Amino acid sequence: MYQSIENTTFMIAIVLYIASAVLSLLSVTGIVKKGGKVATSLALAGFITHTAAMVARTIGAGRLPFSNQYEFALSFSWGIVLSYLVLYRLYGFSAIGAFVMPLAILVMGYASLQSRDVRPLMPALQSYWLTFHVGTAILSYGAFALAAGISVIYLIDEKKKGSQRLVQDPEVSDMLSYRVIAFGILMLTIVIISGAIWAQKAWSRYWAWDPKETWSLITWIIYAIYLHLRLRRNWKGRAAAWFSIFGFISVLFTFVGVNILLPSLHSYAT
Amino acid sequence: MNNRIKKALSLVASLKVAIALLLLITIYIIIGTLIPQHATQALYQSNYPTLAPIIDALSLDAAYSSPLFISLVILFIINLTSCTLLSLPSQLRRSRSIYMPPFKAESEYRVEEEDEKMVKSYLKRKHYRIDTDEGGFSSGKFRWGALGATVTHIGLIVIFIGAVVGNIASDQEMISLLPGSTREFEEYGFSIHLDDFYLTFEESGAVKQYISDMTITNDDGTTHRQSMWVNNPLHHNGLGFYQANFGWTSDLLIRQAETGESLVSGLIRNGNTYFYQPHHLNIMLYGYFPNMDIDVNQMPYSINNREDNPFYAVVLTQFGVNVGSYIIEPGQVIPYEDIAITFTGSTPYTGIVVRSDPSYPIVVAGFIILTFGMFMSFYLYPRFLFYTNGKLYAESGKNGWVFYQAIKSGITAQRKTGKQ
Ligand code: HEM
Repeated sequence: MYQSIENTTFMIAIVLYIASAVLSLLSVTGIVKKGGKVATSLALAGFITHTAAMVARTIGAGRLPFSNQYEFALSFSWGIVLSYLVLYRLYGFSAIGAFVMPLAILVMGYASLQSRDVRPLMPALQSYWLTFHVGTAILSYGAFALAAGISVIYLIDEKKKGSQRLVQDPEVSDMLSYRVIAFGILMLTIVIISGAIWAQKAWSRYWAWDPKETWSLITWIIYAIYLHLRLRRNWKGRAAAWFSIFGFISVLFTFVGVNILLPSLHSYAT
Repeated sequence: MNNRIKKALSLVASLKVAIALLLLITIYIIIGTLIPQHATQALYQSNYPTLAPIIDALSLDAAYSSPLFISLVILFIINLTSCTLLSLPSQLRRSRSIYMPPFKAESEYRVEEEDEKMVKSYLKRKHYRIDTDEGGFSSGKFRWGALGATVTHIGLIVIFIGAVVGNIASDQEMISLLPGSTREFEEYGFSIHLDDFYLTFEESGAVKQYISDMTITNDDGTTHRQSMWVNNPLHHNGLGFYQANFGWTSDLLIRQAETGESLVSGLIRNGNTYFYQPHHLNIMLYGYFPNMDIDVNQMPYSINNREDNPFYAVVLTQFGVNVGSYIIEPGQVIPYEDIAITFTGSTPYTGIVVRSDPSYPIVVAGFIILTFGMFMSFYLYPRFLFYTNGKLYAESGKNGWVFYQAIKSGITAQRKTGKQ
């Protein structure tokens, strides 16, 4: 029963997200006037059904949906929408949805291609560190996706004038993407550290240069470089925006590419 | 200080060098993830014929322990340490409780608010320290947050020290134990006895856990019992025991066919051979299949490790010639001339990594310092306010607009509640 609740709510969530993204895009391109608020409400409605899907999965599997590629994609997209909604709540910029919701839809689409079987956790995954590790990864990846979306807005706004802009002041999008990346890198630090502590318990080594580990470190270094260029070399605006988009590509590679292309201890997560 | 030395030092400590090194390190480890590690020379020759000499020259087959990589990391740490030390005086100065940044009257981050008393009560409620001067006041909080970057960098340096200590001082071996056996760790002053080792299963038959019940006996004679399993290692006197793998040991029994007299009884692992001297017979246990099935190639395999349908695959050879292949149940007899060969049962043995790593607490301390330093940098950053001529100016360097927003909405809320 939980499986069918999950499947239904998952489908509804995708449909609502697509509606939200389309309306958002129409509204930022000026085709529809003042669609932003409705688009955000659709995103919120989608988020609620998405949450319901995750709850159904959690009850059905008897644990949080954190342990295979489908579950992680389900949670990752949830994190993306969550960070968008939190930012909206704080600052009220609905235009960002036009660039963040497609990322959430992309990850949901990826989730829908994965096997949904509920399988018991293999011994190495039976750890409360799993919850902590993946929980922080969702927040971190969600934040990086959001920052990439804001950076796209910056790049668009930078070329426009005054009222044509999606966010009145490009400096504000620039600042927000920095703050969101700062949150993302703090979370990513915790992801890597909790992973190391867990590996120490499960495999006796806190660091083994496994490709997934290594790629999360690469992502971490990229964003660390971003922070320093910004703070000390005044790399703001355009350069920072491209950096943030580039960083998110590294996040996506860490999430999907490593599983598909590189052999890894983490590949049980497929 | 000599000018030349000063120049050299500022280069060593420069961010330019830091970023160059970080980029090199990143590129290097990316290559490390693309090339299989620790494979044979022949594999590189055949898979990457043109790259093989480069792989060899740069030690990319053992990328993360190569001299080049280690040099890059050491250079980076020297750079980070000198940069952190050089910027420490200014960071300390900025973190003092009397520090105020210069006031910028042209700043856009200002709130128009005539009611000085209300602003003050808001700031007091938010734990700002207020210094009054003519024509207004200045105020600040979290000045010590200016040390966030320093704390972050120290955390990284501690982690690095831990990694070095770990490389030098850690020690590891792999042991395998059968239930009932004991292993001494003389240097560490104790021994462990494996009382039992067993698997538990999911409904599907997949292994749920590998559980070892151990008794630890110290040299002073005290003992205690403890269990370990995956994700729940056992630690004692500086040694860690980690469940790593397992296998089957099977009981081989050879009897005199007529009398039933036992000739040989011993333990044998999958793939191993017992040589029975009197008949010049090699008895090879090809495999023990606890839950056997036959695959498309007519070869036996085990569906899982639950002993639901156990069989042994046995191959007999004599002077290199196959004299019989058998699939038998436990207890089933293979007759050969005047002897009867049987496998009576199997027991799982456990493979355990035994590791001592004094660096782990250092690394964990580094983790905590690093995380806290980042939290300081991003959330406990110094915040300053100037009030003059009915305007409140918010100043927080890199976080300008975000801090200004918070103050603006805080003041607005205060004004509302103040009027009620
Ligand atoms: C991967 C390695 C590094 C990490 C994770 C790291 C982390 C940080 C963090 C989190 C901050 C605060 C940034 C902010 O508030 O936006 C910071 C600031 C800073 N870092 Fe690093 N850092 C690293 C390497 C370095 C290196 C090698 C240098 C020196 C060459 C350096 C120099 C600085 C400086 C000068 C600041 C600014 C301090 C200030 O103005 O308050 N960092 N670092």
